[in-house]
Amino acid sequence: MWQYILRRFTYMIFTVWIISLITFAVIQLPPGDYVSTMVSQMINSGMDELPPDFEQEVRAQYGLDQPIYVQYYKWMRNIIRDGEFGYSWIYRRDAKDIMVERLPASFAISAFSVLFIWMIALPIGIYSAVKQYSLADYTFTLIGFIGLAVPNFLFALILLFISYKYMDQAMIGLYSQKYETAPWSLAKFWDLVKHLWIPVVIIGTSGTAGLIRTMRANLLDELNKPYVDTARSKGLSETTLLWRYPVRHALNPFISTIGWILPSLIAGELIVSIVLNLPTSGPVIFNSLMDQDMYVAAGFILILSTLTVLGTFISDLMLALLDPRIRLS
Amino acid sequence: MDMTVHEQAVVLGMHEESELKLEVATQWQLTWWKFRKHKLAMFSGGVVIFFYLVAIFAEFFAPWERTQYIAEYVYAPPQPVHLFDDGKWSPHVKGLTFERDPDSFKKIWKIDDENKIPITLFAKGAEYKVGLHWMPVPYLNDLYFTTSRHLIGAKDPTQPMYLMGADKSGRDILTRLIYSTRISLSVGLVGVGVSLMLGITLGGLSGLVGGWVDNVIQRLIEIVMSVPDLPIMLAIAASVPLDWSVIKVYFLITLVIALRSWTGLARVVRSKFLSLREDDFILAAKLDGAPQSRLIFRHMLPSFYSHIIASLTLALPGMILGETALSFLGLGLRAPAVSWGVMLQETQKVAVLALYPWLLWPAAAVITIVLAFNFLGDGLRDAADPY
Amino acid sequence: MTTPLLEVTDLKIHFFTDEGVVKAVDGVDLTIERGKTLCLVGESGCGKSVTSRAFMQIIRKPGKLVDGSMLYRFKKDDGTDEIIDLAKLDPKGKPIRQIRGQEIAMIFQEPMTSLSLMHTVGQQITELIRLHTGATKHEARNRAIEMLQRVGIPKPDRLIDEYPFRLSGGMRQRAMIAMALSCNPTMLIADEPTTALDVTTQAQILDLMLELQNDYGMALLFITHDLGVVAEIADDVAVMYLGKIVERSDADTIFNNPKHPYTQALLRSIPKIAMQRDELEPIKGMVPSPFRRPVNICQFQPRCNQRFEACSRVEPVSTLINENHSVRCLLYEDVAAVHQADTEAVAHG
Ligand SMILES: Nc1ncnc2c1ncn2[C@@H]1O[C@H](COP(=O)(O)OP(=O)(O)OP(=O)(O)O)[C@@H](O)[C@H]1O
Ligand SMILES: [Mg+2]
Repeated sequence: MWQYILRRFTYMIFTVWIISLITFAVIQLPPGDYVSTMVSQMINSGMDELPPDFEQEVRAQYGLDQPIYVQYYKWMRNIIRDGEFGYSWIYRRDAKDIMVERLPASFAISAFSVLFIWMIALPIGIYSAVKQYSLADYTFTLIGFIGLAVPNFLFALILLFISYKYMDQAMIGLYSQKYETAPWSLAKFWDLVKHLWIPVVIIGTSGTAGLIRTMRANLLDELNKPYVDTARSKGLSETTLLWRYPVRHALNPFISTIGWILPSLIAGELIVSIVLNLPTSGPVIFNSLMDQDMYVAAGFILILSTLTVLGTFISDLMLALLDPRIRLS
Repeated sequence: MDMTVHEQAVVLGMHEESELKLEVATQWQLTWWKFRKHKLAMFSGGVVIFFYLVAIFAEFFAPWERTQYIAEYVYAPPQPVHLFDDGKWSPHVKGLTFERDPDSFKKIWKIDDENKIPITLFAKGAEYKVGLHWMPVPYLNDLYFTTSRHLIGAKDPTQPMYLMGADKSGRDILTRLIYSTRISLSVGLVGVGVSLMLGITLGGLSGLVGGWVDNVIQRLIEIVMSVPDLPIMLAIAASVPLDWSVIKVYFLITLVIALRSWTGLARVVRSKFLSLREDDFILAAKLDGAPQSRLIFRHMLPSFYSHIIASLTLALPGMILGETALSFLGLGLRAPAVSWGVMLQETQKVAVLALYPWLLWPAAAVITIVLAFNFLGDGLRDAADPY
Repeated sequence: MTTPLLEVTDLKIHFFTDEGVVKAVDGVDLTIERGKTLCLVGESGCGKSVTSRAFMQIIRKPGKLVDGSMLYRFKKDDGTDEIIDLAKLDPKGKPIRQIRGQEIAMIFQEPMTSLSLMHTVGQQITELIRLHTGATKHEARNRAIEMLQRVGIPKPDRLIDEYPFRLSGGMRQRAMIAMALSCNPTMLIADEPTTALDVTTQAQILDLMLELQNDYGMALLFITHDLGVVAEIADDVAVMYLGKIVERSDADTIFNNPKHPYTQALLRSIPKIAMQRDELEPIKGMVPSPFRRPVNICQFQPRCNQRFEACSRVEPVSTLINENHSVRCLLYEDVAAVHQADTEAVAHG
């Protein structure tokens, strides 16, 4: 068991490291860098008289003239040693501060989405499997499919449209006005939770369909296994039997799905926040990518990726607790 | 199944297999019989085929030419079709007039009940070619014909006929929607091709070779699956130089979308290979001394072609949605290419959307095709598991 | 003659599949005597498992018990008998659940998959004991350890907390037997309990079961392909073909004086039973597909080496050769009756 956890943990660290490489490489992809963006903006705004080596100087100041592996090394070193994620050229502040401000809401949305999805998918999946081909099964399946087919951004767009046309606009947004710029506090968090349900429902519905189908398929598989007949031949009631045996077995693959559901939740959160213009990571990542504010983009992507990897790790742990075959091997 | 019958036949001392053959339908037949019973999947298959037909013959289905616009009809509302005029068969749409809003000076469109624009099926319009003219192969590309018939259109092609309304430059939404089908649907196909290659190669290697190869590939899949794809896709898409051609951007975007979805397929392929390795009939073939390659291609692959097709069908909607989302954010395809995502870009501003809700038509197309692919894939997957 | 424990008449179980109706069990008559062993034999797919599952009402979907009665003689605490028709019980209802595990217990073919791998052996056994006896956790555990010991599992107090996937196939099947017997059932159904095991283990498990039957005195319905096993353990034998019992009698009669051509062919095809090597011969042909079963004629006729012209027109009925031996074959039916059926068939024809 400990060996298994240790191995999973090593994988996690390794994965995060690879992700940091990918992230940094991808951030470097766009042609030019922030300095060139800045220079062209300055020229656009009418400053045609820049000092001849202005670009060089700024680059040297930010270390942009160094080879990329040196830049990567410094970036990683600062993160690990000081928890510093670099400087945002657009916002003119530390990237870390922006992250502290924006990430909690993203985490909250993702976490609540997972809960939402589980709370819906688990009972419906079980019900659909037990009552296979019933009217309810078909209805749930259909609703699930529609949730799957309506892309997050469209759902957000439609909600936005409805709220714009028929309600006061306060429905969209994550905080009440008085908390908008307030520092983090319990009251602000509670306020956030109250506003969270819109993005959570939008993001959740698209994930629920997949999980309902997973749970239903798993359970249908398990319902036909011989051990169910054995349990039935003992004289257990159908309900006890269902919960004690097949559901218990079907839960394992269900739990391991959290690993792959997180990335899509993050993606959903990004795009929904962009559409609804929520004060979470989404719009910041989008803008920083567009404007080559590389440390901000890289920091956000790194943390969000680490979060998903951590989610996978946690689901592995839960799996080990639930499944004796893993625990005892 | 065959194996157990066989085995027990031996126990009970029977060994005539010729009669058994009669009972063993091919995998394809079994799949097809099962599939036929899924009415919804069959219907969805029809919808998918219809969409692809529209994509292939877009010139015919679209009432207008691809880039055609009438500048004065900016944001013209949809003109409903009327089939009868005074109780007589005379299909037509009503014309449009406008007033200026005194404050914003915007056009406010009104249906002009007096002005009836007759429309007809197989209307004459812009000329176009049907055939192989687009092929870069000499002689083959002479195989085409020219026509100017469109499925539906105004009898007088200079008259406006906006069945789904117009966009910000006075272009026909329906026409653009039809041409978009081409890109939106083919992105899925090309992407599926890419992930098919990656998935089968890596998943097959993983399942067949096993050992450290399997381990490395599994790690790779885990990493790819745990990276939140959207930011990476955004970053890559943001890096596309502005001067790239439409084709180049198209392939890059397709590749980016496909880079994620191969993992699912690789897993299916791997687990299939693993389970097939233990399977009775492979065992039987092994006992008969069949060589490895024959084993793979004659026995293993055919038994999960249907699985692969089902997985691919289920992967397609994800790619279509991916392209749509990227283009919606303005990071995917760009004009002059049109896809559903590109069209939906216009709806980003909710104030625009509130005034011109017909801009949302592409969303209906997205939802329809994604639903159709999902139902179809589900039916295929069920059918692929005959036992 | 003793009163039978279970008397099955005209049992019919049909599977309503999309492709059509599979008449897996199509009019089975059986009796099982208290404390005796009945062996049910027949080729794969003839409906042995489905029949035996019906006794506990655990038929899988889309199967339905469409007809027949299964009269079970239930011994009440005051010593009187109560006759229950198992066929009339609701598969989800309380009465059948009280019979399952307590009156009738079952051992399945696959020890690998018949136990849940996510629960310890102990959990799975004590659950049954507590369900039917109301014992405390502690009592149930002691009883389980006792049973595990009884079936020859070494260090039962340790093994009780093991998960089945850590046990060998033989050990699992022993645990399965311990579980089945833990509530002292009146009848035990063993559906090919040794098929999945290697030969040595097979012999051990078989010996164990015989020994336990002797000790506990339960009736045993033993399903098998292996006529060698039948010869060793059976008091009575029923031979099944395509959902029907074609011959039944005591073991001696079946082996020494088989009447049905199918039984004869079965015996000839088994090396251990056939006297000399050159007598060994396979039965021609295969079991037909469930959808292509011949109707209203003799089902075995296409493969039969003694068929005559009437076989492809008339369906044989079960005929008593003597009090203790019935056979379903036209060869043994009253010739006059066959002729009458013949003429009727022609008249309707
Ligand atoms: N779930 C099912 N759906 C359809 N038909 C079924 C189903 N289960 C069993 N059958 C049918 O019932 C028939 C009898 O099956 P059964 O399992 O009782 O055979 P068996 O005699 O026990 O064979 P074996 O020796 O292989 O265990 C089979 O031929 C099959 O066609
Ligand atoms: Mg069986």
